[in-house]
Amino acid sequence: MEQDIEQKGYAHPEAVVSTEWVAERLNDTENIRIVESDEDVLLYDIGHIRNSVKIDWVEDLNDPLVRDYLDPEHFARLMGEKGIGLETTVVFYGDKNNWWATYALWVFQLFGHENVVVMDGGRIKWEQEGREMTQEVPSFPSKDYPVPTRDDEKIRAFKEDVERHLEKQGPMIDVRSPGEYSGELLHMPDYPQEGALRGGHIPGAASVPWARAVREDGSFKSADELKEIYEGEAGLNQGDDVIAYCRIGERSSHTWFVLKYLLGYDKVRNYDGSWTEWGNSVRAPIER
Amino acid sequence: MSRQQQIAVLLQHYQGPRHQGVLADADVAMPGGSPECGGSVVIYLRGEEGRIRGLSFTGQGDIISQAATSMILEQVLDEGLTMDEVIALDYEAFVDRVGREAVGSRTRNATLGLSTLKSAVRKHQRDTLYANSTEPARKAG
Repeated sequence: MEQDIEQKGYAHPEAVVSTEWVAERLNDTENIRIVESDEDVLLYDIGHIRNSVKIDWVEDLNDPLVRDYLDPEHFARLMGEKGIGLETTVVFYGDKNNWWATYALWVFQLFGHENVVVMDGGRIKWEQEGREMTQEVPSFPSKDYPVPTRDDEKIRAFKEDVERHLEKQGPMIDVRSPGEYSGELLHMPDYPQEGALRGGHIPGAASVPWARAVREDGSFKSADELKEIYEGEAGLNQGDDVIAYCRIGERSSHTWFVLKYLLGYDKVRNYDGSWTEWGNSVRAPIER
Repeated sequence: MSRQQQIAVLLQHYQGPRHQGVLADADVAMPGGSPECGGSVVIYLRGEEGRIRGLSFTGQGDIISQAATSMILEQVLDEGLTMDEVIALDYEAFVDRVGREAVGSRTRNATLGLSTLKSAVRKHQRDTLYANSTEPARKAG
């Protein structure tokens, strides 16, 4: 049953907007920039929300050489090119239940761009509602975006952070598929370079596949439904310091968003090194 | 071909994939990729004496991986390539054929079908070799 966002009981309802909200603001390009971020890199080309721009997680947000995100200078340049200023509200949407949209949002937050929201339901909901799509790529005047400072402390966890978290038995959520969690799937067939030498999960991590947070229409479940999953089943408690991880940190950014904004967990970090780092590390403890 | 033209060709294949479906009498069914991330395909292959007698695929995932799988199967069947010729196909040349501007950094998605097809061919060759090497022993036994 479709619910208004206000009725879903989120801790931060202001972090989520409806398709209707977006549809009513398509022409407010001075204050709002709609950003499509997909796994399927050609979706934007075959049709997108009018006046939206594309940000690609591989080509725009990753450092081309080092396994890291883009540096502050490149982030500022990217913002300028997309016509995004410090005050611009960035509305993210994308395929796969907003998986990549929340990933892009998480990267924006590393650079302190706090004025970000997610369009509930993402691309699939917009399409299913029969809303307008276009192939026209908009062009906006570039903005002078000051070079920010990247803060990797608050919302990002590195391997050493996870090791310390493990020592104090802090809660962790493994958002991968059950097969990956159990170690049955060591790596994805044909993708050995994104795999790991050992299978399983970080000891003590609870298994909550990321997509359990969404309904069939792609929209987020209500706060009560989410609490049942993350608190009732996975054992989290309000106020917990939580680390989420997956394979390379993209699926877990979705869970990071759910815990932080929808359920109000202030201390949630995304371990983007994830299983491709942990499962390849010598003597890293593993549970199956 | 412009990027837009390359995308148009990919879309044609994505929306009307060639040689899609399960090949009932396949000798090999080779999976590749992942449904969880990117795309996944299964290549069905039937062969005889180094020649490809039947070829099809099933799959799900992004436009590039599914369309490029359709393209490589079409190429192999239209050109009547042998198993050895499939193994010799060059990944970079195939990405050029698919359209490098459209593929961008997703070269792995573009070659998922080809790499899975090569795996299927190698398995067929191994199975054939094994069958031939054990056949006399079976007869003797």
